[in-house]
Amino acid sequence: MTNEDNSRRGFLKKAAAAVGVVAAAGVTAKTLISAPSDSVSSESAKYVNDGHLQQKVMSQKQYVLMTDNEKEQMLNEILSNHYKELA
Amino acid sequence: MSEERKEIAKVTEGVQETRRDLLKYVGLAGATALMAGPAGAEAAASAVSATAAINPADADSTITEWLQGHYVLMSDEEKKKCIDRLEKRYSAQYGKKTTVSDAPPLEGVLFGYALDIAKCIGCRSCVHACVKENNQSRHDPEIQWIQVMKIEKGNFSFSADKLDEGYPQPSKFGDHGVQVGGNAYSPVGGLSTHGTQSYYDAETVPEKDFFYMPVQCQQCEKPPCVKVCPVRATFRDPNGIVLIDYNWCIGCRMCQLACPYGARRFNWGKPNLPSEEMNPKTHYFGNRPRMRGVMEKCTFCIQRTRENRNPACLEACPVGARKFGNLLDPESDVRKILATKKVFRLKEEFNTFPKFFYYVG
Repeated sequence: MTNEDNSRRGFLKKAAAAVGVVAAAGVTAKTLISAPSDSVSSESAKYVNDGHLQQKVMSQKQYVLMTDNEKEQMLNEILSNHYKELA
Repeated sequence: MSEERKEIAKVTEGVQETRRDLLKYVGLAGATALMAGPAGAEAAASAVSATAAINPADADSTITEWLQGHYVLMSDEEKKKCIDRLEKRYSAQYGKKTTVSDAPPLEGVLFGYALDIAKCIGCRSCVHACVKENNQSRHDPEIQWIQVMKIEKGNFSFSADKLDEGYPQPSKFGDHGVQVGGNAYSPVGGLSTHGTQSYYDAETVPEKDFFYMPVQCQQCEKPPCVKVCPVRATFRDPNGIVLIDYNWCIGCRMCQLACPYGARRFNWGKPNLPSEEMNPKTHYFGNRPRMRGVMEKCTFCIQRTRENRNPACLEACPVGARKFGNLLDPESDVRKILATKKVFRLKEEFNTFPKFFYYVG
């Protein structure tokens, strides 16, 4: 008889158990990281961050006045697209 | 082979396959758990939090809501059931008779909005009226669909005498057909939003040397948010309004990234809407209470405009800076403004053709 602790089967058993433990730990860790947080403050922070992003986006814009021609072209494009959508 | 080895081989002869299988299964299970675990856990967590938010008696409604299709594609009978279900649930949840309308788009109407930045005083009455009308989250956080930007007056200038230019004219570089009037190379005037502040907290408004520019969904005629939605939860309705089916939205936030105006808001958490502040007159695509994990934005108050009423922000404006109307009607306020006032466009044209116009009177 061989001592199972020192045999190949024993080693494989331990390896399989180790894989299982690592996988379970991985799942737990990933779940904890990715699961939605119930923290109200973190949700508020995310929302505020969205607002700041909008401010950042909008603070880099430049508006120009349209000439009469441009206004006419824009309106024509909007109306023709609208009728196209309806059709 | 020694006797001992022969004995081991004999004993483990049938075990070889089992051991390999065992390893295979362990490996497979590990990989599957690693890949599916977080997603499953997240789904389970969302499900738990969603069901915990309502009465257990209404849980069936919630499950049915999860399984329902896109509202636009539903049959009339399915729509009716859906509306009844929502009305019942909201009425129970908020303790008041709540109606969910699905009034159809108006015939022969294309909505447009115009805002006079020379008149706006930055009082944020429109913001608060919008929050109240559209059942937005009230605290932690208060979700606002309108963001008012405070801009220094020095950022705004224009030359009235060049307004009608825009034709190829000779320049110092010669007559090469290059436009010198109102065009991308030499605009007649402009407004830079550099250094803008959205979170100002002044005791009195308007502040000296500043003007104000409220920003909300611009209801683009060619909306980029609609193009990027992977499930078509957001779409342009026949009145030109960009709407969202909250029950069909998967919360991927692609539309938020695509919007050039940052006008969309995501419900990171369950909205906090106290019963006493809830507006019970709602529309399916408009101001009905939203859930966690979905996108929302201005709809020009669809629950009002589809009943020939003005948006709440317009009614709240104390200085009459806001005008709303039908772009198909040449006699409407918006069309008259487009025809006679100095109207702005974004210098960096995104080819989205917003139907929200900023002008100076």
